[in-house]
Amino acid sequence: MDILIIMLAGVVIGNRLFPRKYRKSNERLQVICTALLIFTMGITLGQRENFVEELLSLGFTSFLLFLIPAVCSTILVFFLTKWLMNDKKGRN
Amino acid sequence: MVIIALAALIGGVATGLLMDNSFTSLLTSGADFILYALMFFVGISVGLHHGLLDNIRKYHIKILVIPIGIIVGSVAGGALCAFLTGIPVYQSTAIASGLGWYSLTGITITNLMGAHLGSIAFLSNLMREIFSFFTIPWISRHLNFYSCIAPAGATSEDTTLPMMIRYTNEETVVISVFNGVICSAAVPVLIAFCYHFFQ
Repeated sequence: MDILIIMLAGVVIGNRLFPRKYRKSNERLQVICTALLIFTMGITLGQRENFVEELLSLGFTSFLLFLIPAVCSTILVFFLTKWLMNDKKGRN
Repeated sequence: MVIIALAALIGGVATGLLMDNSFTSLLTSGADFILYALMFFVGISVGLHHGLLDNIRKYHIKILVIPIGIIVGSVAGGALCAFLTGIPVYQSTAIASGLGWYSLTGITITNLMGAHLGSIAFLSNLMREIFSFFTIPWISRHLNFYSCIAPAGATSEDTTLPMMIRYTNEETVVISVFNGVICSAAVPVLIAFCYHFFQ
């Protein structure tokens, strides 16, 4: 919930106060935060007890259990949005 | 961006494996604040796009098409995995119901089905989140922007959002946040439903 409140604050500031000329700087800050966030996620994984052993022994089953649901949902959403939402490519 | 994300992930795992000091503790304990900063900057990008809410309003109830497609596709994919892996349908669908929310799903499945399946649930949902980072650019080019939300599932409201804003448009970003809220709320219910209904 707090994430949504913070994002909403950003939306209001972006809509009312934020100068458009700093748009690129804002995008760069997003890239830095994303990289930091992924790096932090990596640290948490690396510090997880038996992470490498788990990955080696359960990796293939886990791989199938992520790949097939992710692909099925992507295909389904693609056809549903193509059929039901007006914009064919979903682009500007 | 994909190269940056991959380098950050590999660098992070290597750091986590090799180091455990105040620097790594500071970063991991501050992860929430990094996410807050990110959401604030994403909010600014959304706010800079005037007339966006009017564009979203035109979809009405159709906006639910994406979370419904993600949930149905994920559960169907989980059922398909049962035949390939030999794991019972109620377990495979419950694991797939995590929709990428690896922390919650790992703990919930461990409590329901034991540590072995809990670890599989953790890893598979983690892979889904990482997979989203690297496939969003490809999906945005070859399918459509809305489809980029599907692999992200429950993470489309936070961690995968920056990829959305980079490779799709502001309208898709707002739909993505809406989808993330719906999917996140659905995850605990879906896991319990699959666990009891398919048993």
